[in-house]
Order: sequence, then C-alpha cells, then structure tokens
Amino acid sequence: MDFLRILLSRIADLAGSQHRDHDLDDDIAAHLDLLIHEHMANGMSESAARAAAHREFGGVTQTRETYRIQRGFPRLEQFVRDLRYASRQLRRSPGFTITAVLTLTLGLGANIAVFSLLNCILLRPLPVPHVDELAVIRNQQNNQEHGPNYSFNAPFLRSLENHHDGFESIAGYSTRPFQVRSESSNVRVPGAMVSGQFFQMLETAPVLGRWLTQRDDREGQANVAVISDSYWKTRFHRDSAVIGQVLTIANKPFTIVGVMPSGFVGADPMYRPEIYVPVWAEPIIDAPYNAIESGYHSWWMRVIGRRAPGISLEKANAALGALSDGILDESIPDAKWIKDARTHHFRFAAEPGSRGYSYMRDTFQKPLEVVFVLCSAMLLLACLNLASLLMARAASRERELATRLAMGASRLRLVQQLLVESLLIAVLGTAAGLLAAPAVSRFLAAVLIGGNGAYVMLDTSLDMRVLAFVAATAMFSTLLVGLVPALRATSKGLNEQIKTGSQSVHSRQRRLLPRVLMSLQVALALILVFGAGLLATSLQRLHSIDLGFQQKNLVDLALEMNKQSRDGDALFAWYHQYLDALSRLPGVKAVAYVSYPPMSGSVWTETMQTNVSRGEQKIYMNSISAGYFRTLKIPMPAGRDFQWNDNTASGLKIILSERAAQKLFPGQSAIGQSVSMSKKNYQVVALVGDIHYASLRKEAPPEAYLCMTQNTDHKPNYEAIARIEGSAVPFASAARQLASTMAPEIPAPILTPMMTDIDGSIASERIMAMLAVFFAICALLVTAIGLYGTLAYSTARRTSEIGIRMALGARPTQVVGLVFRENAWIAIYGSLGGFVVAWFTAKALTSLLYSTSARDPWVLLASVGVLGFIASAASLVPAIRAARVDPSTALRAE
Amino acid sequence: MGENKSDVLQGTLDLMVLKTLEAMSPLHGYGIARRIEQVSGDSLVLNQGTIYPALLRLEQRGWIKSEWGTSETNRRARFYSLSRIGRKKIAEETENWERIASTMARFLAPSN
Repeated sequence: MDFLRILLSRIADLAGSQHRDHDLDDDIAAHLDLLIHEHMANGMSESAARAAAHREFGGVTQTRETYRIQRGFPRLEQFVRDLRYASRQLRRSPGFTITAVLTLTLGLGANIAVFSLLNCILLRPLPVPHVDELAVIRNQQNNQEHGPNYSFNAPFLRSLENHHDGFESIAGYSTRPFQVRSESSNVRVPGAMVSGQFFQMLETAPVLGRWLTQRDDREGQANVAVISDSYWKTRFHRDSAVIGQVLTIANKPFTIVGVMPSGFVGADPMYRPEIYVPVWAEPIIDAPYNAIESGYHSWWMRVIGRRAPGISLEKANAALGALSDGILDESIPDAKWIKDARTHHFRFAAEPGSRGYSYMRDTFQKPLEVVFVLCSAMLLLACLNLASLLMARAASRERELATRLAMGASRLRLVQQLLVESLLIAVLGTAAGLLAAPAVSRFLAAVLIGGNGAYVMLDTSLDMRVLAFVAATAMFSTLLVGLVPALRATSKGLNEQIKTGSQSVHSRQRRLLPRVLMSLQVALALILVFGAGLLATSLQRLHSIDLGFQQKNLVDLALEMNKQSRDGDALFAWYHQYLDALSRLPGVKAVAYVSYPPMSGSVWTETMQTNVSRGEQKIYMNSISAGYFRTLKIPMPAGRDFQWNDNTASGLKIILSERAAQKLFPGQSAIGQSVSMSKKNYQVVALVGDIHYASLRKEAPPEAYLCMTQNTDHKPNYEAIARIEGSAVPFASAARQLASTMAPEIPAPILTPMMTDIDGSIASERIMAMLAVFFAICALLVTAIGLYGTLAYSTARRTSEIGIRMALGARPTQVVGLVFRENAWIAIYGSLGGFVVAWFTAKALTSLLYSTSARDPWVLLASVGVLGFIASAASLVPAIRAARVDPSTALRAE
Repeated sequence: MGENKSDVLQGTLDLMVLKTLEAMSPLHGYGIARRIEQVSGDSLVLNQGTIYPALLRLEQRGWIKSEWGTSETNRRARFYSLSRIGRKKIAEETENWERIASTMARFLAPSN
C-alpha cells in the first residue's frame, strides 16, 4: 500500500518538480531564518548567528539532494538530464547532427521499407485462429520436369475432401475477377471460388448471415455467395438487409447469404476477394469454358488443409502420402496417366501453411533476400560511419572526460551519458525512417507488382513484427554507433591526457581503431557498388535485348466478350467493326487482335508435326487477326498475311516463325506446305520473324499463328494491340467510350502499355538493380562524408603540428601529401578487403544475372575507380585546407 | 530510490516526528527539529536538514499533511500536522518500536 502511495506521489511530483524544489528552498530559508533569529536573541552577532545556524542545519545541498532522491526517480531524472545535455551537444553542431540523422534515416528507412515488404510477402501469417494448424498441400513427382506442383484439378480436390485422413478439413480455392452486373454493364470484382470446407477450415465467423458449407458446394444447389466487409460497405453501404439480396455474377443470379469480417482475406494473403462462391459454380463464372468438365486435364485450384488436433505435420504428410495411390485410382479415368504418375512416385504432400499460399513468394523470395542483405550492409555502413564520426568528435572531448573521471565520475556513468547522445541520434533517425518507410515500401510494392494487374494486394502496413524489427535495429544501431566511441573516449586517465595534451601526435595505436572502422566502410561500400554494378549491367543487358518486334508505343486493350450474347460470325463481325473504329481514332498508326499478347505472362503451346519433322514438335501458339505483324513491325520475308474474310470454309491457314519453320520443315521451304495439329491440317501461308513471347531471358521459341476468324471456340476473348502516337490516356478513354456504345454490357476494356508488361516480366531484376544502385549511391555518399569528416577532425587537431612543419619549411604540396596519405591508406586497405570479399561472395548473384559474369572485371574495375575517385575527392578538401594554414596563426592558437 | 543502510535510524526519526506532531500541531520544520532536541534532552543533536526528507517521506505515505503558513519571522513555510492515517499508524509504529527495543534490551542484558 505504502509503496504504491509513494510511487503515485512520486509520479505526481514529476510534473511539478521545479515547483517542489522552490517549496523546499522556502522551507529551508524559513528554517535558517528562525535559527539565526534564535541565536541573535541569545546575544550572538549576526554573522556568528548565521554560521551557527548553518552548522546546526547541516549541508543545505545534501538536504536538497536527499530530498530530491526521496521525491522522484533519480535514474529517470538523470536520464532526462543526460538527454538535455545530449540535445544541447547536438544542437551545438547542427551540421554533424543533420548528417548523422540523415545517414541513419537512409539506412533505417530503407531497412524498414524492405522489411515491411519481406514481412508481407514472406513472413506474415494469415489472420485466422490456430493458424499453425494450416498446411499447404502440393502434389509431386520425382522427375525433373515436374517440381512440386501447387495446382490441383477438380477430381483430386473432390477425392481429398472425402478422404482427409490426418486433417480436420481440406479445401480448394481459385481466385479471379468475376463479372458482376452493375447498373447497365458488367464490372470486374475480385472473387474466389471456394470448396465446401473452406470457411470451416479458416474458422472465421461471418459478421452477418452464414458462411458457405459443403451443402452449398454440390450440383443442383441454389447459387449462393458470401461477400467481404469492404464489398458490403462500398456496394451495400453496410445495409443489414443485404442477406437475401441477389448479385448477378456472370449473368446468373447469386443470393447473398453472408458477410465476412473486415480482417478476413481468404487463403491467399496477396489477393483480396470481394465475393466468394462455391467451386461448383465454376462453369458459370468461367463460361463459356468449363474447368470442372475438363476433369483431370484442368489444373486450376490451390488446396489447403487444417490438421486434425494432435496430428503433427509429419504425420499429416505421411497420411497424405498413404492416400495418394487410392486417390489416383479414384479420380483419374486414364490408365496410361496413372501408370506414368506411379512410375514417377506421384504423391500428395503437406507443408507448413500458416502464411497461406501465394505464387509471388517463389518469384520474389530470392530477390527480396538479396535486397535485404544489400540494405543491411547499407545500415551497417551507416552505423560504422557514425561511429567513426562520433569517435572523431569525442576525441576533442577526451580531456573534459578525463577530468571528470579524475574527479570521481564513474566510467559507467560517462559511457551512459555518451550513449544517450547516440540514442538520441538513433531515435531521431528511426522516427524519420518510420515516417518515410510506408511511402517507400508502397513504391517498392508497386514496382514489384508491375504488370501483374490490379488484383494483387501487397499489404505493407506496419504490424508488431515490423515494429519489433524497428526497435531491434534502432537498439542495435545505437549500440554500434555509440558504444565503441564512448568506451574509447573514457579509456584514458587524466594523467595520460595531460601528459599528451592536444598538440601531440597521437600514437599509432590510438589511431588504429578509427582507421579500421573507416577501412571497413570503404570495403562495404566497394561491395555495394560492385553488386549494384553487376545488377545494373545485367538489367541494362536485359533491356537492350532485341525482342523481334518494336515494343515502344504499343498498348494492349483487353476485351472480355465471354459473357455477352454474340457468338461465331456475329462476334467476329463485332470485333471487326470495333477494330475499324479504333483504327480511325486520332494517333492510332495500326491495330490488330491477338489472343495472348507477347510478354503478357500467358502462353499457349501445342504439339504439331509434318511429313519431314522428326516426330511431334512443341510450338508456341497464338491466334491473331490480319494486320498483327504490321502492327508489331515483325518482318514477313515470305508469303501473305491472314485476311478478315478467311473463315473455316476457306481452308485452315497457319503462319510460322522462321525457327518453327526450321523445326517443322528442316532444310525446305515451308510456304504452301501442310502442318498437322490435333488431327487437323493447316496450310502454311507465310513466314515471319521470331519474337520473344514469354520471357526476355530465354531466346525466342518456335512460334505459329492461327487465324482469328478460323477460331471455332465459343465467345473467345481477344486483346486489341495498337501502335499509337502520343499519350495512351486519350486513346484509352476513347476506346472505352467506343466499347460502351458498341457493346454496353461488357466490362470496360483494360489498357496496358506493352512496356509495363515487359518491365513487369523483369520486375525482380528491376527492383534489385534500382535498389542496389540507390544503396550504392548512398554508400558512396556516406563513405565520402565519413572520410571527409574524420580527416577534417583529425587535421584540425593537428593544426599546430602542421604550423610547425610549415614554419620549418614544409611546402604546401608536402602538407597536402601528409594529410592525404592518411586517407589514401584507408582507401587502399578498404578496397583490397572489399575486393577480396566481393570476389568470393559475388557468386551468390550468379543465378540473378543475365549474360553478366559475377566476376565481370570491367564492373569490378569501374567500382574501384568510382570509389577511389570519391575517396580522393573527399580527402583532398581537408588536405588542401590544411596546406592553407598560416603557420603564425596556427602556433599562436595554442 | 529505496531505503538505505540507516533504515533503523530513519524509522526512529519518523516515529519522533509523528509523536511530536501528535503532541502539538501544526508545526513547521524548525519547530519539529527543536522539539525533538528538547524532548531528547539535547542528547540527540540532529543535522536539522535531515528532517525534511523524513517529512517528505511521511507525506508521501499519507501519514502527515502540510499547509502553507507564515513563520514567526514572517517567512513562507510549511506547517505539518497528522493525517487520519497517521494517527492510526502511531500506535502501530510505537508497538513496532517497543518490540525492537525490548528485543535489543534482552540481547544487551546478559552481557552485564
């Protein structure tokens, strides 16, 4: 009780501590006054009375001190005093403070930003209860071609649902934009098709209505949907009468039965479905395609399970393995396929699934790790830099500190005081870094997502994990920055300090540590610059690849015609009309249709053969309209283009790329010859140049083009690809306007510049190179500041020595040499060290580099050159300034 | 923070202050110090300044309270008096002290 009351009273006193000190002073004054009065009444003189009063009272200062200790928290007050002292020190040298804080802001801000991204892609668990029990299920075969496969077909899912040994529940899902009726036209809304046990597995209760169950996921059931909190808000304004309302999805009515809470994201942390429907509704959503009907040929789902209570992942995995054979027999009606799978030890397997599944993880793990290493190196460099600057600064305070030590201050106390200074810098840097980080990570996320479309969500917001990381790095940098300089500054006794004085030349040993620190910085900077050089060279080489077509000024316009009413010739007539209208828009040079625009990420392959091809050949396919090659500026050395009036009746036609022609007709002319594919024959009408279809890195594959108007699929989607002059914005709005008048029911077409697709296909290379170059520039800047700052300090302390040298006849060039040499050695040792480390660690980058050797001598040479140049520039300034010293002023100064 | 090695002495001083305030209050610091010296028959010579941390400690515990007044020499000074809790605590503390004193007495007796 008492303890608590004392504590509370102390806390209350904290606010008015000054005030309380005054009160005590009043009390003491009154007390002394009364004593003096008493003594004088007994006949003492005033001065004798005063002396006696003070004797009786005892030490006024001690009383105040004990009183203060009793009153408050001495440690805290001491800390506050240290803080005030440190902030005064920092305010006195604003140049140093700004440099220090900015350096740390750069280092910490970059780390926080990259870590937030890393956190959201690689670390953050799904926001569902008992998330550790979740497991991602994959299927695998032991041949080289099939790695672990996370795609499942519908028959596998249905079998797994029924035999979930070791699992409480197993669910499949597939995400894509749904076409939802909104007023007059359809709009795209991110959606998910989920199997019966999905919601039960994620254990998250709906805020309204019910979730989807296994009963809903059966043939013949009414169409039902569950919506997200955000969709409830934006479309229904949180109206609780939403249950029972009908959404028209893909032209079919779906009754809303539930609303999920706002934190719920489904099973893919990088996708935010607004609408969930049962897997059973897939034929409606995907119409006119039907993945369920395609059975085991169609691999379109991800599968996740929740382990039964008390079943470890190993046991669950073993149970899945044991089930595999039976499921294969049950779900695949193709004996040859089963036999083939068995020989390759086909099995299902479980892996930890607390973070859900996202394809982005595989793509971005390595680049993100590289970036994280780079920015950690950057932070380390920043800390070392500050440590050496602080050390140089503390050198000028050594005398003061030694005096305080001699007068009885404990070393711990002084180290504490000096650490508070670095703590203050770290806190300021962290705060600024935290402020800057969200914008930076949003920018990085945007680059990373690139052409992957509007439906990828990277939630880089700060969570406990990021904040813990921030706290840890801030603490780490405080200690790294402050501890060594503080220990060093307080290591010298007063004797030694007075003996050596400020004008002496410091012993070699005393100057070793700062030099080692600076050399380490130079080494780190060299490694960063070298890494950045490699990544930038590689990116530059990727960018300069000849794609086989001219990608500049091309835009894709994605049309979704699969849910409107036209089909067959009527649809092609519509396509033709729309194309004509587009080609009449201002700025349009050429326009054509294609089903899979090159570099968009989707490809279509087929096998075909001819009389002379050695068996079946794998060929990359596309379906195009007349004018495609003219639009992309792909050369056509022989033959003629397709025509709009080519149709099934006029004989099937095909155009081959030169590489495809060589494969199918080795050593012969292909024009006019016949190619067979899927038991149909196509006549070759033209030869065209090879282009990069799916990847910049891989060379152009063999390609074949079919005529759009001979396509017999129902309601096929095509993308208009246009070469335009000037901005794409007016074109986009005009094209959308045209579409909405010519086919009001279709969703607004989506426009993507071709360059976005191409940049998106090398997003990880771009982000790595961009960040590496940014870090390298920062590293160079920081190193230059460090080299300049430490040299300027140490030269300032040698002013009188230099004065003497000059008085004795040293020429300015000799003085410049003398000072410059100090840093020259640092730069040389640092570069050597960095060179050796870079030589051995660059191998780690090999897999990320395109036609660039990890030990590219030119890049290495250039890095050393740049670093040498920066180091020289930073060291020359103090050296020249030293040579300008007027000997008489320098000597008089002491 | 916390109590130091002169714990017993502090406790003694606290009790003396409480007893003084029980006998006469309100009283300022000078008055309390003088009164303690008088009662102890001048066998105890205080560093009078030490009275102030003790007063603060008692006030923090809520055993005494203070209000501002004017001293005999016309200066601003705090006058202390017992609080309700303080009155109750005196009995407790006295008993406490007597137990210690009698224990000590028993230890000291046989050596005579």
